[in-house]
Amino acid sequence: MATKCIHLFDKLWSFATCKKTRLPTGRRSNLHRDVEKEEFQYASAQCLSSYYSVFVVRLAIMVMLAILIGLLTFLTWHFTKIYTTKSLNSLAYDLRYELLQRPILRMWNILNSTAEITASQVKLSEYVIRSHSNLATQAEQVEMYGAMKAVTWALFSSRKALDSITVKYRNGFVQAFHRNLKDNHTCYIYSDLANYSMASWNDKDIHGKNSSIWYREPLDPVTGEKIGKAMKIAPEDSINIAGLSQVPDGVASWHVAVSKFTDSPLLSAALPVWDSSNKSIVAVVGVTTALYSVGQLMKELVDLHGGHMYLTSQEGYLLATSTHDPLLTNSTKLKMAVGSENEAIRHGAQWLQKTYGNHFPPSHEVHVENVKLGHQQYYIDSFFLNLKRLPLVGVIIIPRKHIMGEADERAFKTLVILISASVCIIVIGCVCILILTNGVSKEMKLRAELISHLEARRKAEASSNYKSQFLANMSHELRTPMAAVIGLLDILISDDHLTNEQCATVTQIRKCSTALLRLLNNILDLSKVESGKLVLENAEFDLGRELEGLVDMFSVQCINHSVEIILDLSDDMPKLVRGDSARVVQIFANLINNSIKFTLSGHIILRGWCENPNSCSDNPKSGYLQKTRTKQHENHVKKISNSDNKMILWFEVDDTGCGIDPCKWDSVFESFEQADPSTTRLHGGTGLGLCIVRSLVNKMGGEIKVVKKEGPGTLMRLYLCLSAPVDATEQHCQADFSNNGLVVLLALHGDRGRLTTSKWLQQNGVITLEASEWNGLTQILRELFHARSPAYNNGFDAHYPLLERLKSKFLSIQELTNPAYVIAVDIELLDLSTDIWKEQLNFLHKYRGRAKFVWVLNHDNNNTIKMELRKKGHILTVNKPLYKTKMIHVLEAVIKEKNVELQRKNKGGDLHESLEIDYTHCDLASSDGSDISEMGGSNFVCASGDKQREEVVRSYSSSQYQINNCLVGLAHEHMEHNTPRKEGSYQSNPNSKDVTKLGTFSTGEDSECGEMRRANSSSRAVNGKKSLEGVRILLAEDTPVIQRVATIMLEKMGATVVAVGDGQQAVDALNGMLGVEDGRRESLLKERNIRSSQTEILNCPPYDLVLMDCQMPKMDGYEATKEIRKSEVGTGLHIPIVALTAHAMSCDEAKCLGVGMDAYLTKPIDFKLMESTILSVTRRT
Amino acid sequence: MDAGQMKRQWVDYIKSLFVEGFLDGQFLQLQQLQDENNPEFVVEVVSLFFEDSERLLKDLSFALEQKGVDFKKVDAHVHQLKGSSSSIGAQRVKNACIAFRNFCEEQNTDACLRCLQQVKQEYCLVKNKLETLIRLEQQIVAAGGSIPMMELSF
Repeated sequence: MATKCIHLFDKLWSFATCKKTRLPTGRRSNLHRDVEKEEFQYASAQCLSSYYSVFVVRLAIMVMLAILIGLLTFLTWHFTKIYTTKSLNSLAYDLRYELLQRPILRMWNILNSTAEITASQVKLSEYVIRSHSNLATQAEQVEMYGAMKAVTWALFSSRKALDSITVKYRNGFVQAFHRNLKDNHTCYIYSDLANYSMASWNDKDIHGKNSSIWYREPLDPVTGEKIGKAMKIAPEDSINIAGLSQVPDGVASWHVAVSKFTDSPLLSAALPVWDSSNKSIVAVVGVTTALYSVGQLMKELVDLHGGHMYLTSQEGYLLATSTHDPLLTNSTKLKMAVGSENEAIRHGAQWLQKTYGNHFPPSHEVHVENVKLGHQQYYIDSFFLNLKRLPLVGVIIIPRKHIMGEADERAFKTLVILISASVCIIVIGCVCILILTNGVSKEMKLRAELISHLEARRKAEASSNYKSQFLANMSHELRTPMAAVIGLLDILISDDHLTNEQCATVTQIRKCSTALLRLLNNILDLSKVESGKLVLENAEFDLGRELEGLVDMFSVQCINHSVEIILDLSDDMPKLVRGDSARVVQIFANLINNSIKFTLSGHIILRGWCENPNSCSDNPKSGYLQKTRTKQHENHVKKISNSDNKMILWFEVDDTGCGIDPCKWDSVFESFEQADPSTTRLHGGTGLGLCIVRSLVNKMGGEIKVVKKEGPGTLMRLYLCLSAPVDATEQHCQADFSNNGLVVLLALHGDRGRLTTSKWLQQNGVITLEASEWNGLTQILRELFHARSPAYNNGFDAHYPLLERLKSKFLSIQELTNPAYVIAVDIELLDLSTDIWKEQLNFLHKYRGRAKFVWVLNHDNNNTIKMELRKKGHILTVNKPLYKTKMIHVLEAVIKEKNVELQRKNKGGDLHESLEIDYTHCDLASSDGSDISEMGGSNFVCASGDKQREEVVRSYSSSQYQINNCLVGLAHEHMEHNTPRKEGSYQSNPNSKDVTKLGTFSTGEDSECGEMRRANSSSRAVNGKKSLEGVRILLAEDTPVIQRVATIMLEKMGATVVAVGDGQQAVDALNGMLGVEDGRRESLLKERNIRSSQTEILNCPPYDLVLMDCQMPKMDGYEATKEIRKSEVGTGLHIPIVALTAHAMSCDEAKCLGVGMDAYLTKPIDFKLMESTILSVTRRT
Repeated sequence: MDAGQMKRQWVDYIKSLFVEGFLDGQFLQLQQLQDENNPEFVVEVVSLFFEDSERLLKDLSFALEQKGVDFKKVDAHVHQLKGSSSSIGAQRVKNACIAFRNFCEEQNTDACLRCLQQVKQEYCLVKNKLETLIRLEQQIVAAGGSIPMMELSF
């Protein structure tokens, strides 16, 4: 039953689980559709099989549990029940035996005592009769009878249990004592003596013949005294008197008699009394004993133990029972046991008779259990008492209930309890198993899910990898045509024959192409970072200069947007740091680009400061953002690893644009995320910029986040973990101007920029005045220079009360002994829309003697203005934006000039021409990120057009001034165009044009380019506009087409080319096979009409450069390069080798550089790129 | 047919070549490289390309007919062909070569043979086109005209 239950339960469970599992499967399959269909089917099949196995295991465990518990229950029940029953049974048997034994013993006693009494009565009678042997007379007879009576009484009274003693003489005389046991009524019965004569003493036949008269005389039961009168009774009414007939053979006889006076059977014994000669019987003695006492005993026993007992004769007549029912029918006849009025006895007797009939087992002993009589079960036991004359059968019927009732009940209860307990246990066990297996199956399910998830993740990763790979490949494929487009556009731009309109269009195309290329580069960067292929460079670079270049670059765009861009680097920033300059610049370029995109008006500030673990206490000089910085510092001080010279550089890009919703502050750094999707329409962009920024910043061990700022706009804060150079000395360009008596008047348009600059100047001990518009400027000027008159104080107070705050400054200026005034004038302060600016210029010109003017120009200022300025002698011009470094340069120039003037005054001489400003400390050779040079180049060349070029021209044309910050163009008065007095020292006047071209590659290379150019120009005659004039190139390329194309390209640039077909030839050509090559080169040279002297060739190494294809027959480019480098060991030579390969991945580049190549060009060959690469490589030598 | 007409025809023709993708920007570069010093530069390079390509194609056919195909060799050949075709701006040949190389990496002989057929076909196409173009140019020169510089208008 229990197992059935379990089975049912299991079925239900499996159904439920089935349902459960089916539910999510449906949902999932909906989600994943057919992509993972197969996988899913597999998973579900697996699931199903696992469910089956779980089900089977569950069933097995349950069945086992059920069997175990059932067995346990059964055994417990069995042992308790069987052993109890057994012991109880044996006890019960003993009891029954005992119970039956006792009445039988009593019976036996009664018999015995009756026999004894009879015997003694006989003996006594014999004695008395013998002593009266001669009964001659009546008197003697009476005497003998008297003696007999006395003897008999004596015996009778001694035995209380006796019913009667009778003596019947041969002559018919009867003497009897009788006792009614119920009321203890005793009487003496005798026959009339008169009828009996002595003569008839020996007669045998008188008996019963003559009707005699009997008397009954009541007696005192104790003393035997006569207490009443003798009454005459009929002999039949009297008790049984044993006669001679009962002892026919002269031996004792027994029988059960019934008396009318008692309702119980009597046991009567009879013995003859022999005469002295033992020949004849003289009398018969009979003794009867009531069996009443046996019945009494039985009753007592049964009262104690319950049940019924009875004693029957062998024939089945009831002798004694434990009940009160009468034993006699009609008080004369004995009842049969089967006819007993008591039901139990009757049934018992009937059963016995039915079962055994007359065939009792030997010894008549029967022990039967569990006999069903009526409605109850009984034990029936019988014993047989085999007396000679009177065999007796005793039967005891005890209801089972009396003995085993308790045990049976208990056994049943125990069984019920055990079964219920085991059912409970099984149920609980099943539940436990269910829970357990449920957990297990759940775990299995989870595991299966985990496995499938792992699989899915692996697939996703793989697909992501494919994506990255694809992106990298695609961007490579896309970049190739883009490079061509840009190169061709550059060629087109450099064409002089374009009209202005065409030029503008082409410039626009160029810009768009650059933007497209940048996007491609971004994607490539991103995929590189994502695929973990990006390796950061670790080179020393000037962070400040990079950022300045960046700000310069963006300033053009900013001014177009009328947005102010400000660079605000604290003084504690290190000059040189180690890191990947290109990537750092990329970070800021992206950020600033973003800011510009979203800022329509206001300003963009790039702040930077250094967090040095050594200088924890904040420098009070750096006034901005004290609080936030300390906070940040506390947050991040633990991150600083002091060990390897690392330092934390903090930057902020702060703009006043539309800002970013705070909830998007985190998500803007995700790929393809934009704060507001609608901006894509407005500003374009893919949302890759910030993602790249974050990737790069993280790669540099930094962090970037958007920070809450007051007012509109966005504040991006990031820190980079860059290491300082190992030999880092004190690099902070600390400028101390405090003792030079400088007074700077900042007449600048942009508020923030002016504020920042003036703050910085004041920190460095320079007194600054500020003016934001033309009127303010004139007022201050008037105050400064007209106040020299005595009326100064009054006038100032009276007319310009508003300038009260300037008063203290004026006072401090007055304290200076020899103040040098520097007036920085923003060109925008002048009214350029009309011609008023000329008058304004004239106005300012009046102060020229007393102050130095620094003009802050915009990139788009008209040439006429510049010419005008130059004409008037304002030679210090600075391009916007005006930041720290520029300011330092300007101030230093002013101080120098001032010192020179002082000297001159002292000497009184005319050393005007020795005016020299040594700017050696600021040769701003940019550390040359190709990105920057490209972008910078495009900006400068395309946007600011001629002017820039002109400036570059100027900077080259003066050999004394190695001015190379292309933006701090010091336009000195000694312009070659106007005053060609220094022309003699260099014949490079016509060269300026080709240098202009050079300038487009990289403004940062200017000075060195210039030097190289000068060296070239000094050594050989100048010819035309070839950029690679005189460079000898060995081209190793196997494909004839490419060989030819490259050759022509290079020759167009002016280079001399020798082409070889494979790496081996290249190596041979380099290793002294000059003779063969000479002739060919010579012919080439002739062909090109180049005036070059033979001596020059012989003096120089054979080649300036090798262009090496990577994949070539016989010996490939890598091998050849290794070979060449091997042969160079020890000679001190290093010929530049440029790789030429169709593979554009960075790993190829790394491989190229790894074998010792210097640069790397991708096929198809891009004209411009090849030119610039070759230039940059040859320059190095 | 006067020179002006022929010039227009030439321009139309070369435009169609670009639009149909036979040529790309590299060809323009080649044309720009042609000047007084190398008046026959384009023709020279193109014929070099033809020679080289025919040799390579022959080698390729031979290499692929071998029992055990040496894919390294095939790959090298295709690489060369790709290099020269990209240098001349024969874009479609180059693209076919790229596909070819992919199958080379997979060492798929059947696909390689298919690709070879395709490369050959593309090569024939571009050869015909270029020959027509050169013929046109020669006619223009013969008629006394000059080859117009391509405008970057597409």
